[in-house]
Amino acid sequence: MIRSLFCMLLLAFAVFGCGESVPGSKPETPPADTTSNTVSPPAEEETPVQKPEYTTADLIGYYVGEFKATKYDESKNYVYYNKINISIDSIIGDSLMGHSVVAGNDRPFQGSIRKQGEVYQGEGREPGDDRYDGVFRFTVDPSLSKMTGQWVAYNNKLPVSERGYELEKRSFRYDPNLRLSMDVGWAELYERNPKIMDQGEFVTEDVLKFNPSTELLKKEDVENLYKGDIEVIRNSIYARHGYSFKNRKMRFVFDKYVEWYIPVSTDIRDQLTDVERKNIALLKRYEEHAERYYDVFGR
Amino acid sequence: MSRRIRFSSYPQTSMLLLPLYALFCWLMVQITWQYIPWNTDVAFLRIKQEYISMAHYRWAFLLHVYSSILVLPAGFTQFSDRLRLRWPSVHRQMGWVYAIISIFLAGPSGFVIGWYANGGWSSQLAFCLLAVLWILFGCLAILRAKQGAYEAHKRWMYRSFALALSAITLRAWKYLIVAIWEPRPMDVYQIVAWLGWVLNLLIAEWLILRWKNKNTLKTLPS
Repeated sequence: MIRSLFCMLLLAFAVFGCGESVPGSKPETPPADTTSNTVSPPAEEETPVQKPEYTTADLIGYYVGEFKATKYDESKNYVYYNKINISIDSIIGDSLMGHSVVAGNDRPFQGSIRKQGEVYQGEGREPGDDRYDGVFRFTVDPSLSKMTGQWVAYNNKLPVSERGYELEKRSFRYDPNLRLSMDVGWAELYERNPKIMDQGEFVTEDVLKFNPSTELLKKEDVENLYKGDIEVIRNSIYARHGYSFKNRKMRFVFDKYVEWYIPVSTDIRDQLTDVERKNIALLKRYEEHAERYYDVFGR
Repeated sequence: MSRRIRFSSYPQTSMLLLPLYALFCWLMVQITWQYIPWNTDVAFLRIKQEYISMAHYRWAFLLHVYSSILVLPAGFTQFSDRLRLRWPSVHRQMGWVYAIISIFLAGPSGFVIGWYANGGWSSQLAFCLLAVLWILFGCLAILRAKQGAYEAHKRWMYRSFALALSAITLRAWKYLIVAIWEPRPMDVYQIVAWLGWVLNLLIAEWLILRWKNKNTLKTLPS
Protein backbone atom coordinates (compact mmCIF):
# COMPACT_ATOMS: atom_id res chain seq x y z
CA MET A 1 0.00 0.00 0.00
CA ILE A 2 2.91 2.28 -0.29
CA ARG A 3 2.03 4.75 -2.91
CA SER A 4 4.61 7.31 -2.31
CA LEU A 5 4.05 9.03 -5.58
CA PHE A 6 0.43 9.56 -4.91
CA CYS A 7 1.23 10.84 -1.53
CA MET A 8 3.73 13.29 -2.78
CA LEU A 9 1.12 14.60 -5.12
CA LEU A 10 -1.31 14.82 -2.31
CA LEU A 11 1.18 16.69 -0.28
CA ALA A 12 1.99 18.98 -3.10
CA PHE A 13 -1.60 19.95 -3.38
CA ALA A 14 -1.68 20.37 0.33
CA VAL A 15 -5.34 19.77 0.25
CA PHE A 16 -5.12 18.89 3.83
CA GLY A 17 -3.12 21.01 6.04
CA CYS A 18 -1.67 19.84 9.16
CA GLY A 19 -1.36 21.54 12.43
CA GLU A 20 -3.73 21.36 15.19
CA SER A 21 -5.41 24.48 16.19
CA VAL A 22 -7.83 24.54 18.92
CA PRO A 23 -10.21 27.21 19.92
CA GLY A 24 -10.75 28.50 23.34
CA SER A 25 -12.13 31.43 25.16
CA LYS A 26 -12.30 33.36 28.34
CA PRO A 27 -15.08 35.11 30.04
CA GLU A 28 -15.74 38.55 28.88
CA THR A 29 -18.76 40.66 29.43
CA PRO A 30 -19.85 42.95 26.70
CA PRO A 31 -22.87 45.17 27.32
CA ALA A 32 -25.87 43.10 28.12
CA ASP A 33 -28.88 43.24 25.94
CA THR A 34 -32.44 43.08 26.99
CA THR A 35 -32.85 39.47 26.14
CA SER A 36 -33.99 37.01 28.70
CA ASN A 37 -31.03 35.74 30.57
CA THR A 38 -31.63 32.31 31.86
CA VAL A 39 -29.71 29.21 32.57
CA SER A 40 -30.76 27.12 29.70
CA PRO A 41 -30.77 23.37 29.97
CA PRO A 42 -28.98 21.63 27.14
CA ALA A 43 -31.76 21.67 24.62
CA GLU A 44 -30.18 20.19 21.57
CA GLU A 45 -33.29 19.91 19.50
CA GLU A 46 -33.91 22.48 16.91
CA THR A 47 -37.03 24.41 17.65
CA PRO A 48 -39.08 25.31 14.64
CA VAL A 49 -41.08 28.32 15.63
CA GLN A 50 -43.80 30.01 13.68
CA LYS A 51 -43.26 33.40 15.12
CA PRO A 52 -39.56 33.94 15.52
CA GLU A 53 -39.41 34.80 19.18
CA TYR A 54 -36.11 33.33 20.28
CA THR A 55 -34.53 33.38 23.67
CA THR A 56 -30.98 32.58 24.65
CA ALA A 57 -32.23 29.12 25.60
CA ASP A 58 -32.63 28.43 21.91
CA LEU A 59 -28.92 28.98 21.40
CA ILE A 60 -27.79 26.17 23.64
CA GLY A 61 -26.40 23.21 21.78
CA TYR A 62 -23.75 21.90 19.39
CA TYR A 63 -22.69 23.85 16.34
CA VAL A 64 -20.86 21.61 13.94
CA GLY A 65 -18.99 22.13 10.73
CA GLU A 66 -15.80 23.08 8.97
CA PHE A 67 -13.12 24.90 10.89
CA LYS A 68 -11.11 26.39 8.06
CA ALA A 69 -7.75 28.06 8.19
CA THR A 70 -7.94 31.70 7.13
CA LYS A 71 -4.50 32.81 8.29
CA TYR A 72 -1.72 30.30 8.21
CA ASP A 73 1.98 29.91 7.79
CA GLU A 74 2.56 28.06 4.56
CA SER A 75 6.04 27.05 5.59
CA LYS A 76 4.61 25.02 8.44
CA ASN A 77 2.84 21.74 8.58
CA TYR A 78 -0.67 22.97 9.06
CA VAL A 79 -4.11 21.45 8.78
CA TYR A 80 -6.33 23.46 6.52
CA TYR A 81 -9.59 21.93 7.58
CA ASN A 82 -10.95 20.20 10.68
CA LYS A 83 -14.44 19.41 11.79
CA ILE A 84 -15.28 21.43 14.88
CA ASN A 85 -18.05 21.22 17.40
CA ILE A 86 -18.60 24.50 19.24
CA SER A 87 -20.93 23.87 22.10
CA ILE A 88 -22.83 26.64 23.84
CA ASP A 89 -23.35 25.08 27.24
CA SER A 90 -25.07 27.84 29.18
CA ILE A 91 -26.00 31.48 29.03
CA ILE A 92 -26.64 33.36 32.26
CA GLY A 93 -27.54 36.93 31.75
CA ASP A 94 -25.16 37.93 29.04
CA SER A 95 -22.39 35.66 30.18
CA LEU A 96 -21.64 32.70 28.04
CA MET A 97 -20.06 29.33 28.83
CA GLY A 98 -19.16 26.68 26.36
CA HIS A 99 -16.52 24.42 24.97
CA SER A 100 -15.21 23.34 21.64
CA VAL A 101 -14.10 19.94 20.44
CA VAL A 102 -11.80 19.67 17.48
CA ALA A 103 -8.84 17.54 16.45
CA GLY A 104 -8.75 15.64 19.72
CA ASN A 105 -8.83 18.79 21.79
CA ASP A 106 -11.63 19.64 24.16
CA ARG A 107 -11.30 23.23 25.41
CA PRO A 108 -13.67 25.32 27.50
CA PHE A 109 -14.45 28.94 26.78
CA GLN A 110 -16.19 31.73 28.61
CA GLY A 111 -17.39 35.05 27.43
CA SER A 112 -20.42 37.08 26.65
CA ILE A 113 -23.31 37.09 24.27
CA ARG A 114 -25.86 39.72 23.37
CA LYS A 115 -28.69 40.23 21.00
CA GLN A 116 -28.22 42.48 18.03
CA GLY A 117 -31.34 42.72 15.99
CA GLU A 118 -32.38 39.23 14.98
CA VAL A 119 -29.06 37.59 15.79
CA TYR A 120 -26.78 37.08 18.73
CA GLN A 121 -23.17 38.23 18.89
CA GLY A 122 -20.90 36.19 21.08
CA GLU A 123 -17.34 36.08 22.21
CA GLY A 124 -15.74 33.17 24.00
CA ARG A 125 -12.22 33.10 25.30
CA GLU A 126 -10.26 29.94 25.95
CA PRO A 127 -8.27 29.78 29.22
CA GLY A 128 -4.93 30.40 27.56
CA ASP A 129 -2.99 27.63 29.26
CA ASP A 130 -2.87 25.54 26.10
CA ARG A 131 -0.65 26.65 23.26
CA TYR A 132 -3.55 26.36 20.85
CA ASP A 133 -5.93 28.55 22.86
CA GLY A 134 -7.54 31.61 21.39
CA VAL A 135 -10.74 33.55 21.17
CA PHE A 136 -13.95 32.78 19.29
CA ARG A 137 -16.09 35.57 17.95
CA PHE A 138 -19.30 34.55 16.34
CA THR A 139 -22.81 35.37 15.31
CA VAL A 140 -25.65 32.95 15.99
CA ASP A 141 -28.80 33.17 13.98
CA PRO A 142 -31.41 31.12 15.85
CA SER A 143 -33.88 31.28 13.00
CA LEU A 144 -31.39 29.49 10.75
CA SER A 145 -29.77 27.43 13.52
CA LYS A 146 -26.43 28.68 12.26
CA MET A 147 -23.26 30.02 13.80
CA THR A 148 -20.65 31.90 11.80
CA GLY A 149 -17.47 33.48 13.03
CA GLN A 150 -13.73 33.48 13.44
CA TRP A 151 -11.27 32.13 15.90
CA VAL A 152 -8.02 33.95 16.58
CA ALA A 153 -5.16 32.26 18.38
CA TYR A 154 -3.48 34.07 21.25
CA ASN A 155 -0.21 32.95 19.77
CA ASN A 156 0.13 34.33 16.26
CA LYS A 157 3.18 32.15 15.61
CA LEU A 158 1.05 29.03 15.30
CA PRO A 159 0.92 27.29 11.93
CA VAL A 160 -2.69 28.42 11.77
CA SER A 161 -3.43 31.56 13.75
CA GLU A 162 -6.93 32.27 12.45
CA ARG A 163 -9.79 30.10 11.38
CA GLY A 164 -13.25 30.76 10.09
CA TYR A 165 -16.38 28.70 10.48
CA GLU A 166 -19.95 28.47 9.38
CA LEU A 167 -21.60 25.89 11.57
CA GLU A 168 -24.92 24.18 11.75
CA LYS A 169 -26.74 23.45 14.98
CA ARG A 170 -26.92 19.71 15.41
CA SER A 171 -27.78 17.26 18.10
CA PHE A 172 -25.68 14.26 18.97
CA ARG A 173 -26.90 10.86 19.98
CA TYR A 174 -24.97 7.59 19.88
CA ASP A 175 -26.49 5.48 17.14
CA PRO A 176 -24.82 2.10 16.55
CA ASN A 177 -26.61 1.71 13.22
CA LEU A 178 -24.86 4.57 11.48
CA ARG A 179 -22.96 3.26 8.47
CA LEU A 180 -20.08 4.68 6.55
CA SER A 181 -21.12 5.95 3.16
CA MET A 182 -19.67 5.35 -0.27
CA ASP A 183 -17.88 8.68 0.07
CA VAL A 184 -15.37 7.08 2.39
CA GLY A 185 -14.28 4.91 -0.50
CA TRP A 186 -12.77 8.06 -1.97
CA ALA A 187 -10.76 8.88 1.06
CA GLU A 188 -7.01 8.73 1.13
CA LEU A 189 -5.15 7.92 4.26
CA TYR A 190 -2.28 10.17 4.89
CA GLU A 191 0.35 9.41 7.40
CA ARG A 192 1.99 12.21 9.29
CA ASN A 193 5.35 10.68 9.98
CA PRO A 194 5.77 8.25 7.19
CA LYS A 195 8.56 5.79 7.34
CA ILE A 196 9.40 6.26 3.73
CA MET A 197 9.07 9.84 2.64
CA ASP A 198 5.32 9.59 2.32
CA GLN A 199 3.10 6.68 2.76
CA GLY A 200 -0.33 6.85 1.35
CA GLU A 201 -3.03 4.34 1.67
CA PHE A 202 -6.37 4.24 0.04
CA VAL A 203 -9.60 3.18 1.54
CA THR A 204 -11.62 0.68 -0.45
CA GLU A 205 -15.30 -0.13 -0.45
CA ASP A 206 -14.50 -2.97 1.95
CA VAL A 207 -15.05 -0.47 4.75
CA LEU A 208 -18.76 -0.56 3.94
CA LYS A 209 -19.04 -4.32 4.43
CA PHE A 210 -19.28 -4.42 8.19
CA ASN A 211 -20.69 -2.39 11.00
CA PRO A 212 -18.49 -3.27 13.97
CA SER A 213 -20.88 -1.48 16.35
CA THR A 214 -23.72 -3.91 15.68
CA GLU A 215 -22.25 -7.19 14.41
CA LEU A 216 -19.64 -9.33 16.06
CA LEU A 217 -16.89 -9.79 13.51
CA LYS A 218 -15.20 -13.08 12.82
CA LYS A 219 -11.64 -13.72 11.82
CA GLU A 220 -12.82 -14.59 8.31
CA ASP A 221 -14.42 -11.16 7.99
CA VAL A 222 -11.22 -9.37 8.79
CA GLU A 223 -8.30 -11.46 7.56
CA ASN A 224 -8.55 -10.45 3.93
CA LEU A 225 -8.91 -6.73 4.49
CA TYR A 226 -6.31 -4.10 3.77
CA LYS A 227 -4.76 -2.49 6.77
CA GLY A 228 -6.16 0.95 5.93
CA ASP A 229 -9.67 -0.46 5.67
CA ILE A 230 -9.35 -2.26 8.99
CA GLU A 231 -8.21 0.96 10.57
CA VAL A 232 -11.20 2.88 9.23
CA ILE A 233 -13.64 0.13 10.25
CA ARG A 234 -12.19 0.06 13.76
CA ASN A 235 -12.23 3.82 14.11
CA SER A 236 -15.81 4.02 12.89
CA ILE A 237 -16.69 2.59 16.30
CA TYR A 238 -15.07 5.55 18.00
CA ALA A 239 -16.64 7.94 15.52
CA ARG A 240 -20.15 6.73 16.35
CA HIS A 241 -19.48 7.61 19.97
CA GLY A 242 -18.37 11.08 18.95
CA TYR A 243 -14.71 10.57 19.65
CA SER A 244 -12.60 13.49 18.48
CA PHE A 245 -9.61 12.06 16.64
CA LYS A 246 -6.18 13.34 17.46
CA ASN A 247 -4.84 11.01 14.81
CA ARG A 248 -4.62 13.12 11.71
CA LYS A 249 -5.04 10.23 9.35
CA MET A 250 -8.40 9.26 10.81
CA ARG A 251 -9.47 12.89 11.03
CA PHE A 252 -9.07 13.27 7.32
CA VAL A 253 -11.45 10.41 6.78
CA PHE A 254 -14.10 11.13 9.38
CA ASP A 255 -14.00 14.93 9.37
CA LYS A 256 -14.29 15.13 5.65
CA TYR A 257 -16.21 12.13 4.45
CA VAL A 258 -18.56 11.10 7.23
CA GLU A 259 -21.53 13.40 7.36
CA TRP A 260 -23.02 12.05 10.59
CA TYR A 261 -19.79 12.28 12.50
CA ILE A 262 -19.76 14.89 15.28
CA PRO A 263 -16.74 15.22 17.56
CA VAL A 264 -18.08 15.51 21.09
CA SER A 265 -15.49 13.97 23.37
CA THR A 266 -11.84 13.08 23.66
CA ASP A 267 -12.38 9.95 25.70
CA ILE A 268 -15.20 7.54 25.01
CA ARG A 269 -13.58 4.33 26.24
CA ASP A 270 -16.13 3.70 28.98
CA GLN A 271 -19.00 4.01 26.51
CA LEU A 272 -17.99 1.14 24.27
CA THR A 273 -20.37 -1.79 24.10
CA ASP A 274 -19.29 -5.38 24.53
CA VAL A 275 -19.53 -6.13 20.83
CA GLU A 276 -17.48 -3.04 20.06
CA ARG A 277 -14.79 -3.97 22.55
CA LYS A 278 -14.44 -7.45 21.08
CA ASN A 279 -14.36 -6.13 17.54
CA ILE A 280 -11.76 -3.52 18.43
CA ALA A 281 -9.51 -6.24 19.86
CA LEU A 282 -9.88 -8.42 16.76
CA LEU A 283 -9.46 -5.56 14.30
CA LYS A 284 -6.48 -4.18 16.15
CA ARG A 285 -4.81 -7.59 16.04
CA TYR A 286 -5.12 -7.84 12.27
CA GLU A 287 -4.26 -4.20 11.80
CA GLU A 288 -1.01 -4.61 13.68
CA HIS A 289 -0.25 -7.83 11.86
CA ALA A 290 -0.79 -6.18 8.50
CA GLU A 291 1.26 -3.18 9.51
CA ARG A 292 4.15 -5.35 10.56
CA TYR A 293 4.02 -8.23 8.09
CA TYR A 294 1.97 -7.42 5.00
CA ASP A 295 4.81 -6.29 2.81
CA VAL A 296 7.80 -8.08 4.31
CA PHE A 297 9.52 -11.37 3.60
CA GLY A 298 7.49 -13.76 5.71
CA ARG A 299 3.95 -15.00 5.95
CA MET B 1 32.10 -51.35 -5.30
CA SER B 2 29.95 -48.42 -4.54
CA ARG B 3 29.21 -46.03 -7.26
CA ARG B 4 29.53 -42.37 -7.02
CA ILE B 5 27.70 -40.10 -9.23
CA ARG B 6 29.09 -36.96 -10.68
CA PHE B 7 26.48 -34.45 -11.51
CA SER B 8 26.96 -31.58 -13.79
CA SER B 9 28.20 -28.84 -11.60
CA TYR B 10 28.14 -25.24 -12.49
CA PRO B 11 30.63 -23.38 -10.34
CA GLN B 12 29.56 -20.02 -11.75
CA THR B 13 25.97 -20.61 -10.88
CA SER B 14 26.73 -21.77 -7.40
CA MET B 15 28.96 -18.75 -6.87
CA LEU B 16 25.86 -16.70 -7.45
CA LEU B 17 23.30 -18.93 -5.84
CA LEU B 18 25.10 -19.75 -2.63
CA PRO B 19 25.33 -16.19 -1.30
CA LEU B 20 21.70 -15.67 -2.27
CA TYR B 21 20.76 -18.85 -0.49
CA ALA B 22 22.78 -17.78 2.54
CA LEU B 23 20.92 -14.49 2.60
CA PHE B 24 17.55 -16.19 2.56
CA CYS B 25 18.65 -18.67 5.21
CA TRP B 26 19.60 -15.71 7.35
CA LEU B 27 16.15 -14.20 6.84
CA MET B 28 14.62 -17.53 7.85
CA VAL B 29 16.75 -17.56 10.98
CA GLN B 30 15.43 -14.12 11.82
CA ILE B 31 11.86 -15.31 11.38
CA THR B 32 12.55 -18.27 13.67
CA TRP B 33 14.22 -15.94 16.12
CA GLN B 34 10.89 -14.21 16.77
CA TYR B 35 9.74 -17.36 18.54
CA ILE B 36 12.72 -17.46 20.87
CA PRO B 37 11.94 -17.52 23.71
CA TRP B 38 8.77 -19.43 22.98
CA ASN B 39 5.87 -16.99 22.74
CA THR B 40 2.44 -17.67 21.32
CA ASP B 41 1.44 -14.04 20.87
CA VAL B 42 3.96 -13.00 18.31
CA ALA B 43 4.29 -12.74 14.54
CA PHE B 44 2.29 -15.33 12.59
CA LEU B 45 0.76 -16.72 15.78
CA ARG B 46 -0.93 -13.40 16.50
CA ILE B 47 -3.47 -14.25 13.86
CA LYS B 48 -3.76 -17.92 14.88
CA GLN B 49 -5.09 -17.29 18.35
CA GLU B 50 -8.15 -19.47 17.98
CA TYR B 51 -5.95 -22.50 17.27
CA ILE B 52 -3.17 -21.81 19.70
CA SER B 53 -5.36 -22.98 22.57
CA MET B 54 -5.30 -26.46 21.04
CA ALA B 55 -2.36 -28.45 22.39
CA HIS B 56 -1.71 -30.36 19.16
CA TYR B 57 -1.57 -27.17 17.13
CA ARG B 58 0.71 -25.53 19.64
CA TRP B 59 3.08 -28.49 19.68
CA ALA B 60 3.05 -28.87 15.93
CA PHE B 61 3.86 -25.22 15.47
CA LEU B 62 6.64 -25.28 18.03
CA LEU B 63 8.12 -28.42 16.50
CA HIS B 64 7.85 -27.03 12.98
CA VAL B 65 9.46 -23.69 13.76
CA TYR B 66 12.39 -25.09 15.68
CA SER B 67 13.07 -28.18 13.56
CA SER B 68 12.57 -26.95 10.02
CA ILE B 69 15.23 -24.28 10.31
CA LEU B 70 17.75 -27.16 10.62
CA VAL B 71 16.78 -28.43 7.20
CA LEU B 72 18.22 -25.43 5.42
CA PRO B 73 21.96 -26.14 5.99
CA ALA B 74 21.55 -29.19 3.77
CA GLY B 75 21.42 -26.80 0.84
CA PHE B 76 25.04 -25.84 1.47
CA THR B 77 26.41 -29.35 1.63
CA GLN B 78 24.34 -32.00 -0.08
CA PHE B 79 24.55 -30.76 -3.62
CA SER B 80 28.28 -30.31 -3.71
CA ASP B 81 30.07 -33.03 -5.66
CA ARG B 82 33.38 -32.13 -4.15
CA LEU B 83 32.14 -32.37 -0.60
CA ARG B 84 30.39 -35.65 -1.25
CA LEU B 85 33.42 -37.18 -2.93
CA ARG B 86 35.96 -35.94 -0.47
CA TRP B 87 33.99 -36.37 2.74
CA PRO B 88 31.27 -38.87 2.08
CA SER B 89 30.60 -39.22 5.80
CA VAL B 90 29.67 -35.54 6.03
CA HIS B 91 27.26 -36.04 3.17
CA ARG B 92 25.76 -39.05 4.88
CA GLN B 93 25.41 -37.43 8.29
CA MET B 94 23.95 -34.22 6.96
CA GLY B 95 21.63 -36.34 4.86
CA TRP B 96 20.36 -38.18 7.90
CA VAL B 97 19.76 -34.94 9.76
CA TYR B 98 17.81 -33.62 6.79
CA ALA B 99 15.85 -36.85 6.32
CA ILE B 100 14.92 -37.42 9.92
CA ILE B 101 13.81 -33.82 10.40
CA SER B 102 11.79 -33.69 7.21
CA ILE B 103 10.22 -37.14 7.56
CA PHE B 104 9.57 -37.26 11.29
CA LEU B 105 9.51 -33.68 12.58
CA ALA B 106 9.04 -30.78 10.20
CA GLY B 107 6.95 -32.74 7.68
CA PRO B 108 4.27 -34.16 9.99
CA SER B 109 4.08 -30.94 12.01
CA GLY B 110 3.74 -29.04 8.76
CA PHE B 111 0.78 -31.23 7.90
CA VAL B 112 -0.94 -30.39 11.19
CA ILE B 113 -0.37 -26.67 10.73
CA GLY B 114 -1.47 -26.92 7.12
CA TRP B 115 -4.71 -28.53 8.24
CA TYR B 116 -5.56 -25.25 9.99
CA ALA B 117 -4.00 -22.97 7.38
CA ASN B 118 -5.29 -19.47 6.72
CA GLY B 119 -7.07 -18.83 3.49
CA GLY B 120 -9.66 -21.61 3.37
CA TRP B 121 -9.67 -25.08 1.80
CA SER B 122 -7.42 -24.13 -1.11
CA SER B 123 -4.44 -23.20 0.98
CA GLN B 124 -5.19 -25.97 3.48
CA LEU B 125 -5.02 -28.48 0.65
CA ALA B 126 -1.85 -26.88 -0.71
CA PHE B 127 0.00 -27.08 2.58
CA CYS B 128 -1.20 -30.59 3.49
CA LEU B 129 -0.26 -31.89 0.05
CA LEU B 130 3.11 -30.21 0.36
CA ALA B 131 3.71 -31.97 3.68
CA VAL B 132 2.65 -35.37 2.37
CA LEU B 133 4.82 -35.12 -0.74
CA TRP B 134 7.76 -33.89 1.29
CA ILE B 135 7.57 -36.87 3.61
CA LEU B 136 7.05 -39.23 0.69
CA PHE B 137 9.95 -37.92 -1.39
CA GLY B 138 12.23 -38.01 1.65
CA CYS B 139 11.31 -41.65 2.34
CA LEU B 140 11.85 -42.66 -1.26
CA ALA B 141 15.19 -40.91 -1.41
CA ILE B 142 16.45 -42.72 1.68
CA LEU B 143 15.11 -46.02 0.43
CA ARG B 144 16.88 -45.64 -2.91
CA ALA B 145 20.15 -44.67 -1.22
CA LYS B 146 19.93 -47.76 0.97
CA GLN B 147 19.36 -49.84 -2.15
CA GLY B 148 22.38 -48.25 -3.78
CA ALA B 149 20.27 -46.66 -6.48
CA TYR B 150 22.05 -43.35 -6.24
CA GLU B 151 20.66 -41.82 -9.38
CA ALA B 152 17.16 -42.38 -8.12
CA HIS B 153 18.28 -41.20 -4.69
CA LYS B 154 19.49 -38.01 -6.21
CA ARG B 155 16.29 -37.47 -8.16
CA TRP B 156 14.11 -37.88 -5.10
CA MET B 157 16.35 -35.67 -3.06
CA TYR B 158 16.10 -32.94 -5.65
CA ARG B 159 12.34 -33.18 -5.43
CA SER B 160 12.39 -33.27 -1.66
CA PHE B 161 14.66 -30.28 -1.39
CA ALA B 162 12.62 -28.38 -3.94
CA LEU B 163 9.72 -28.72 -1.53
CA ALA B 164 11.88 -27.76 1.45
CA LEU B 165 12.85 -24.61 -0.42
CA SER B 166 9.21 -23.58 -0.48
CA ALA B 167 9.87 -22.10 2.96
CA ILE B 168 11.91 -19.49 1.16
CA THR B 169 10.13 -19.26 -2.17
CA LEU B 170 6.67 -18.94 -0.62
CA ARG B 171 7.80 -15.93 1.34
CA ALA B 172 9.77 -14.48 -1.55
CA TRP B 173 6.75 -14.75 -3.86
CA LYS B 174 4.61 -13.12 -1.25
CA TYR B 175 7.02 -10.23 -0.97
CA LEU B 176 7.19 -9.82 -4.72
CA ILE B 177 3.47 -10.08 -5.36
CA VAL B 178 2.67 -7.58 -2.62
CA ALA B 179 5.32 -5.18 -3.87
CA ILE B 180 3.91 -5.28 -7.38
CA TRP B 181 0.15 -5.75 -7.09
CA GLU B 182 -0.71 -5.07 -3.47
CA PRO B 183 -3.49 -7.63 -3.32
CA ARG B 184 -5.55 -8.32 -0.24
CA PRO B 185 -3.60 -10.32 2.36
CA MET B 186 -5.47 -13.61 2.11
CA ASP B 187 -5.58 -13.48 -1.68
CA VAL B 188 -1.79 -13.39 -1.68
CA TYR B 189 -1.72 -16.20 0.80
CA GLN B 190 -3.88 -18.48 -1.32
CA ILE B 191 -1.70 -17.81 -4.34
CA VAL B 192 1.64 -18.43 -2.65
CA ALA B 193 0.37 -21.51 -0.85
CA TRP B 194 0.48 -23.20 -4.28
CA LEU B 195 3.00 -21.10 -6.15
CA GLY B 196 5.51 -21.52 -3.32
CA TRP B 197 6.14 -25.20 -3.98
CA VAL B 198 4.55 -26.27 -7.28
CA LEU B 199 6.92 -24.11 -9.27
CA ASN B 200 9.89 -25.45 -7.32
CA LEU B 201 8.85 -28.98 -8.10
CA LEU B 202 8.50 -28.17 -11.79
CA ILE B 203 11.98 -26.67 -11.81
CA ALA B 204 13.35 -29.80 -10.10
CA GLU B 205 11.68 -31.99 -12.72
CA TRP B 206 13.11 -29.82 -15.45
CA LEU B 207 16.60 -30.15 -14.00
CA ILE B 208 16.22 -33.90 -13.78
CA LEU B 209 14.99 -34.12 -17.35
CA ARG B 210 17.83 -31.98 -18.54
CA TRP B 211 20.48 -34.31 -17.12
CA LYS B 212 18.87 -37.24 -18.76
CA ASN B 213 18.64 -35.57 -22.12
CA LYS B 214 22.12 -34.17 -22.06
CA ASN B 215 23.58 -37.30 -20.63
CA THR B 216 25.44 -35.24 -18.16
CA LEU B 217 24.79 -37.85 -15.58
CA LYS B 218 27.96 -39.84 -15.32
CA THR B 219 28.85 -42.59 -13.01
CA LEU B 220 32.35 -42.83 -11.80
CA PRO B 221 34.11 -45.64 -10.07
CA SER B 222 34.65 -44.87 -6.47
